[in-house]
Amino acid sequence: MGAGAAVGEALKSLRRNGLMSAASVATVAVSLFILSVFLLAALNLDNLARTIESQLEVRLYLAEGLDDAALEDLRSRLLALSGVTEVLFVSKEQALNDLKEQLGDRYSHLLEGVEEMNPLRDSFRVFTLGPAWVDSVAAAAAELDGVENVGYTHDLVQRLLRLTNALRLGGLTLVGLMVLATVLVISNTVRLTILARSEEIYIMRLVGATDWFIRWPFLLEGMFLGIAGALVAGVVAWQGYSWAVGWVYRSIPFMPVVPVYPLAWRLGLVLVAVGGVVGALGSLLSMRRFLRA
Amino acid sequence: MIEFYNVDMTYPNGTTALRGVTLSVAKGEFLFVVGPSGAGKSTLVRLIYRDLVPTSGFVFVNGVNLAKLRPKTVPYLRRHIGVVFQDFKLLPRKTAYENVAFAMRAVGASAREISRRVPATFELVGLAGKEDAYPSELSGGEQQRVALARAIANHPLVLVADEPTGNLDPATSRGILQLLFEINRRGTTVLMATHAKALVDSARRRVVALDRGRIVRDAERGTYEALRA
Repeated sequence: MGAGAAVGEALKSLRRNGLMSAASVATVAVSLFILSVFLLAALNLDNLARTIESQLEVRLYLAEGLDDAALEDLRSRLLALSGVTEVLFVSKEQALNDLKEQLGDRYSHLLEGVEEMNPLRDSFRVFTLGPAWVDSVAAAAAELDGVENVGYTHDLVQRLLRLTNALRLGGLTLVGLMVLATVLVISNTVRLTILARSEEIYIMRLVGATDWFIRWPFLLEGMFLGIAGALVAGVVAWQGYSWAVGWVYRSIPFMPVVPVYPLAWRLGLVLVAVGGVVGALGSLLSMRRFLRA
Repeated sequence: MIEFYNVDMTYPNGTTALRGVTLSVAKGEFLFVVGPSGAGKSTLVRLIYRDLVPTSGFVFVNGVNLAKLRPKTVPYLRRHIGVVFQDFKLLPRKTAYENVAFAMRAVGASAREISRRVPATFELVGLAGKEDAYPSELSGGEQQRVALARAIANHPLVLVADEPTGNLDPATSRGILQLLFEINRRGTTVLMATHAKALVDSARRRVVALDRGRIVRDAERGTYEALRA
């Protein structure tokens, strides 16, 4: 049969098996939604880990009263150290402003009265090629004139790295398991809808339909079930995530989160692809036992 | 048209359904296959449309040795064979019209051909006007007529009917039998497995009797039971 006829046949059959179709779509939607939650959590864990790693810098707190020439001299010495990529000067006024911003409107009152007698120091932020360089750069910088204090501890860096790696591994493992579970649930759901209609397949064979003539509508039906479930799951996940991101912005302003867009669109595409492909494959596989002539 | 040569059929569970069956049905012939339940009638029918393959022996339909048929070509064999069952086997979620049209689409008939031939077929089986009904809205006799319409829609060479009147009352059964005669008159070879004694006796057609898997009688213009002298 032609492609159009096969699509029509599949849609008609979905409509006439209404209750079964609705139940299958709901099952697929729930499992894909759960997968989305894990996926979004894993992406945010990775984002968090990345943010933490990017903040791995050596902070050099400077002696009071260095003049511009001394600062410039120190900067070029720092840049000469191997592994250093960038050196930023942060005045103590700027440091106070940053702190205020980080705390947000809600907590900025904590700093009231501090502004007249700023307790912070001028500092250099020294960025390196990666976490592995931090140790040696910190050690070398500590020896330089004008550097009073190095804001960095070896143990902390190592612990941070272990934490971020664990976060990533954990996220990846959970997502992997969820993908497996989702694939099983979707293909099994599609299987059940087909098993319920084994008689229909038998009759099709009886009247001389070729295997592919029988397969197409079922395959498309499985695909449509998967995609419909994916759309439901996608919309719920998108709305839920938007709400969650908004909540985090308001309540924990310094917590890094992956923005809703374009993530929502990508997630939607992934869900539709997973739903469609698994639905189609699931129906193809479960038909095998009926189509041995 | 249908030839059985020394066919044995033993199911995987060890039940032997047919033993040494040899049978020849000519083109255009009409015959009954009779016998008590378990005699092997259904097995014989299923061998014809290759739902089963014999344990030993050969089955030929229209000159084709079914044992040598590749699985991929089975659908093309079945297009020459119409099949009717006791339980009608209609697709419950398709209307009467769609059940017939489906069988035609399955063999690649064009939409125009379908819309031309399906009404004619409904006319022939006496169901004009019932096209849009779903099987559950039809009586048993009407459902069997839909099944017959489906079976003959592709102008098969052979029509096999397995207890087609098993679920129907005597008057309705006679109507179905008349329809089978009509289909036969138009040139289709018809084989009907049945244990409806009255129908067979009134028809006086060829009767092949099976008992415990063997052919025990083959009579032209026969009756359900052997006539005793």
